[in-house]
Amino acid sequence: MTLSITRRSAAVFRAAMFRKAFPHPNATIIPGTTPAPGATPVPSTTTPPNTTALPSTTTARNAPTHRKPRRSGRGPQAGPRPTRPTGPLRRLLDMNLPYQLLTFAVLATCWELYAGVRGGLLLPGFAETVRATAGLLGEAELWRALYVSNQALVLGFALAVVVGVPLGTALGRFRLLERYADVHLNILLVTPMAALIPLLVMSVGVGTVSRVVLVALFSVVMVIVNSRAGVRQVDPALIEMARSFGAGERTVWARILLPAALPAVMTGVRLGLGRAVTGMVLVELLMVSDGIGGLILTYRGLLKAPQLYGTIAVILAEALLLGAAAHWAERRLARWTRPNPSRTRTARSQR
Amino acid sequence: MITIQGLSKSFTTRSGERVDALRDVSLDVGENEFLTVLGPSGCGKTTLLRAVAGLVPWDGGDIAVDGSPVRGPGPDRAVVFQNFALLPWATVLDNVAFGLRMRGVGRAERAERARSLIATVGLEGCEAKLPGELSGGMQQRVGIARALTVRPRVLLMDEPFGAVDEQTRRLLQEELLAIWEEHRMTVVFITHSMEEAVLLGDRVALMSARPGRIAEIVPVRLPRPRSRDVGGVARSGEYAEITAYLWERLRDMHAEHRPDRAHRPDEVAS
Amino acid sequence: MTAPTPVEHRPGGARRRPAAARLRRLPAAPVSLAAGAAAWEAVGRTADASALPPLSTVLDRLVEATRQGTIASSLADSLVNLALGLVISLAAGLLVGTAMGRWRRVDAALGVYVHALLAAPSLVFAPVFFSLLGAGRASIVAVVVTYAVFVVVVNTAAGVRSVPPHLVEMAHSYGASERQVLVRVVLPAAAPLIMAGVRLGVGRAVTGMINGEMFISVVGLGRLVTEAGGRFDSAGVLAVLLIVIAVALAALALVQAVDRTVTRWVPRTWKEER
Repeated sequence: MTLSITRRSAAVFRAAMFRKAFPHPNATIIPGTTPAPGATPVPSTTTPPNTTALPSTTTARNAPTHRKPRRSGRGPQAGPRPTRPTGPLRRLLDMNLPYQLLTFAVLATCWELYAGVRGGLLLPGFAETVRATAGLLGEAELWRALYVSNQALVLGFALAVVVGVPLGTALGRFRLLERYADVHLNILLVTPMAALIPLLVMSVGVGTVSRVVLVALFSVVMVIVNSRAGVRQVDPALIEMARSFGAGERTVWARILLPAALPAVMTGVRLGLGRAVTGMVLVELLMVSDGIGGLILTYRGLLKAPQLYGTIAVILAEALLLGAAAHWAERRLARWTRPNPSRTRTARSQR
Repeated sequence: MITIQGLSKSFTTRSGERVDALRDVSLDVGENEFLTVLGPSGCGKTTLLRAVAGLVPWDGGDIAVDGSPVRGPGPDRAVVFQNFALLPWATVLDNVAFGLRMRGVGRAERAERARSLIATVGLEGCEAKLPGELSGGMQQRVGIARALTVRPRVLLMDEPFGAVDEQTRRLLQEELLAIWEEHRMTVVFITHSMEEAVLLGDRVALMSARPGRIAEIVPVRLPRPRSRDVGGVARSGEYAEITAYLWERLRDMHAEHRPDRAHRPDEVAS
Repeated sequence: MTAPTPVEHRPGGARRRPAAARLRRLPAAPVSLAAGAAAWEAVGRTADASALPPLSTVLDRLVEATRQGTIASSLADSLVNLALGLVISLAAGLLVGTAMGRWRRVDAALGVYVHALLAAPSLVFAPVFFSLLGAGRASIVAVVVTYAVFVVVVNTAAGVRSVPPHLVEMAHSYGASERQVLVRVVLPAAAPLIMAGVRLGVGRAVTGMINGEMFISVVGLGRLVTEAGGRFDSAGVLAVLLIVIAVALAALALVQAVDRTVTRWVPRTWKEER
């Protein structure tokens, strides 16, 4: 069983090898095919169960896949091309936003209708929830809860980065160490950290400390695993090149390994932040009724359903905002991994 | 057999530029003729082939095969792809039988016809292998066998030997000639190799780039069958002459994009 | 293509010393596990902290709980939750993912939301399910689905989208219908990415199962964790945790076995170094 999990990384890696299975340059037509170089170089090697670390997964979102709308159904049409509508309507149909708004409208309407029919104390309507959310934003209670929660988030996440990045890069560089740590890391990746909450509460009590530790536990594995993969996949030719110029281990680290691993490390940090937010909410929901999770439980206990839903919306908003910010930071810091399109094309056609 | 009349097609690049891939292309291919299409890269020869195959729409003009207009892929035409387009998860046998399967041919007949064509292209014993286990040359043999199983009247070959090495390419050329001499069908063969175009074709349609159009049709009066003595064909004066002439024309086309070479004195008479 | 190319051999680390060479020859995983277990036992005995009992105590507790039958019945409950959640996730995930990968407009309509929900802390939806579906199995299954389904959707969509267009075109050239293209070309070609998504989904589903059960706390292993935590029975918590890890590993091994047969054709250019 341990064997199988060590192989998991290999199996997941095959996803990255996917394009090797189709080694032909037609791939240029669809930007989403190959993991755009470096978009998420790493996660493929080590895909933890709780992320979408798959290269193409993330790529699918990073690289805008504005392909020509595939003529769906009935195979391709040949013959003289039918005249297609052009102008504003066409452009509107080619954009994403109208569809997104449509989906939102449909969901909101369904929610409202369902709540109208089946609604009760525990199921507020959409409009009611929106109103309650707006109201919540004006209340000190919410902001205090957010402050308490985010304190744990910031401290725990910082701890995870400070511990995880050095540990991960070391594991990536020193093979022997990595060999022995691997099985433990793989187990940690599948361990539901939430089950550790009772132990934490027993040892450090129901305070900020236990929340900080849990947040750190949630995110550190992701940081380690991605940092490790980042160092591990540095092209050995680059290291040889540096050595041929007389670089020592220190210079290799500073000039080659760390810069080359940076995009992967950033990916780990981004994914780790996502997990940290999860950990923050989780610990408050499950054991330590404080902060924003505690607020959810309070509203549930008071049967204040609109406020309950509003709080959930606030948490989702925070998770998305933090995710977007991390994404932005990742792109800024690892800009060299996004090659300009023309260069990619030549590189691909040479393959 | 194939009539192409005033075919034109343009597309818009990502930067919004409009490019004429084909402009007013007219071409007739006779019954059982082996026509090679030669041109610089980007001249639209592949687009032309895909249009005949019914795989892409076009802007204007008509294509008819045996008098009936092309409106999509049809059982009368089969394509051999440059990059083989084999299903990597399917065995050689399943790959060869793919076309038949799409046409609803029963399992037993599928296997029988596929096996006989696998033998024709010299891949006996590889039926259970996956494409990934084959060399490029062998993969393209699978591609050819797959196209032949559906007994097409027209075989459309899109730079089929472009992705294999020189030696394999020569072997494949000989084998293709042998197969064609035996089975006789209409072939449209895209290539960027002058030697290949002359060695295989009855006529060479020379295309120019941007806009893509037929610049000239050069007849090749080398004797057939050629598969018996490919070496002899390649040593003949006619072969050398046509290849040299094609290169002249192609060099002129390239020179149009190199102004420094454009006013080179026309020293060679053809 | 620079970055994602797999590196065949790792940059050579420290210079080889005889001791290191000897360590290198040992089978790493079992040795490392044994060392970890020994360390746990030693730390547990010396620290004598209530939160970290030695491994032997945990194992004793595990045997005891198994004898009483609490483990078996809870495990069965949990597995049912997991299985139901996974079946729903896979069915919905494959369906929606294929639609998103195949049709741009479906992708435009749903993509943003799927990605958002994938990134969100899934357990916040537990109170919603709780109020909609009541405090029972349905809520737990719903939590499992929220954990697992989105990653399956996203990967399926990515897989379907990345099918080489020349294969689809080839199928069309033989007159394949849209259904034939889907069944004979698109889904097999997308299988490696789909399976990767399923694997991630299974991992997330196990987490969702435990978290959901801890939150709703009526059935399953998660309830055992909560109860043991309430009694300050740390050995009990860890004993259940061992079971959960075993469940996760077993589920992953199962997926892997399926994956190996489904994606046998993918060339093994990258070999495991271990």
